[in-house]
Amino acid sequence: MTGFLYAAALVILATICVSMWRVLRGPTRADRIMGAQLIGTGGVAVLVLLSLVHRQAGVLDLALLLALLAAFAAVGFVKSQSADGAGDPEGES
Amino acid sequence: MTLGDAFDILLCLLILTAAAGVIGGRDLFGSVALFIVYGLLLTIAWVRLGAVDVALAEGAIGAGLTGVLLLGAAAKMDDGAGQRPSFRPGALLLCAGVAGGLGWAVVSLAQPAAGLIPLVRENLPVAGADNPVTAVLLNFRGWDTLMEAAVLLIALVGVWALSPEDSWGGRSGLTQRVRVDGVLGTFGRFLPPIGFVVGVYLVWVGTSAPGGAFQGGTVVAAVWLLAIMAGVVEPPPVASIRLRLLLMAGPAVFLATGIWGFAAGAFMAFDPAYAKPLILAVELVLALSIAATLALLVIGRPRRPQ
Repeated sequence: MTGFLYAAALVILATICVSMWRVLRGPTRADRIMGAQLIGTGGVAVLVLLSLVHRQAGVLDLALLLALLAAFAAVGFVKSQSADGAGDPEGES
Repeated sequence: MTLGDAFDILLCLLILTAAAGVIGGRDLFGSVALFIVYGLLLTIAWVRLGAVDVALAEGAIGAGLTGVLLLGAAAKMDDGAGQRPSFRPGALLLCAGVAGGLGWAVVSLAQPAAGLIPLVRENLPVAGADNPVTAVLLNFRGWDTLMEAAVLLIALVGVWALSPEDSWGGRSGLTQRVRVDGVLGTFGRFLPPIGFVVGVYLVWVGTSAPGGAFQGGTVVAAVWLLAIMAGVVEPPPVASIRLRLLLMAGPAVFLATGIWGFAAGAFMAFDPAYAKPLILAVELVLALSIAATLALLVIGRPRRPQ
């Protein structure tokens, strides 16, 4: 069972490699942030799998925490793209 | 080589790639985006090393606060061309020296290092917390944690001290403009209640499993920050007495329990009979103070004339 879980985690880690290429390469800022967001999603999946491997308290909590907070970088990004850093692209278009 | 080893090797390669990209990238914004990824990969690495408490702290700070802070800072530093600061060989040498020195120190540690683990295990039954990390942070080395809480508070005072004369005492940051029925507005109303529950849960569970005041407080700080950025709530004015009491409450309660420790024999000593309720009380109040302090640190100095 552990072998299967590791194999699954490896596959997800491989998809993280692909997203990493997008973060490194860009070309636009939105590409980089979306790549980082996809890595966040993959990271949550890896942690859920690891929580079954390690059987240690808290790993699943950590996955929950990252699922909750992973989207914050996107919020920070849209804020930082408005002129004074306090606007909302949706409200200004 | 087992699949587990393959996983660890690939993870290490990804971390090294992200780190090299952060340092060597030509685009400041790209470096910040990679740094967010780097934090997430490190979180997984800490889990692999069995340090789930550290992973929780890294995950909460990295995903909840530094991303927002650094993206905002990079946008302010941006001169339009997206140029990063010029190359400074002195800084490179200094950083390489520090990193090399630390590496040498770790390698030259006595093997096998005895450490303090047996001592902590032995005293865990009287610590008032089943999680050894919480027992060390709040009981055995409570002094250090008290100082950390004080350092956070002093950092916030430092940030506030940068506010211009005319906006002193006003609200932190700028007024946020958000379309109420937009994605950001909806997200800012939907997520904070869930995040608050998760934050309180992390504090509560911290006495028996990974978690604690710092991790839980960071989650609450992050969702409060989100509610502020989504225009749902306004940060309180820095002159507000209630806000200042909230910021002080954590370190003050911690200090008060420390002084009460004289009854058990010494400063910061907990009577084993009361240790668990005392630790929980300190953690809950400390978490709220840490949440307010961290969120206000990220928002920055008061910027609006009153």
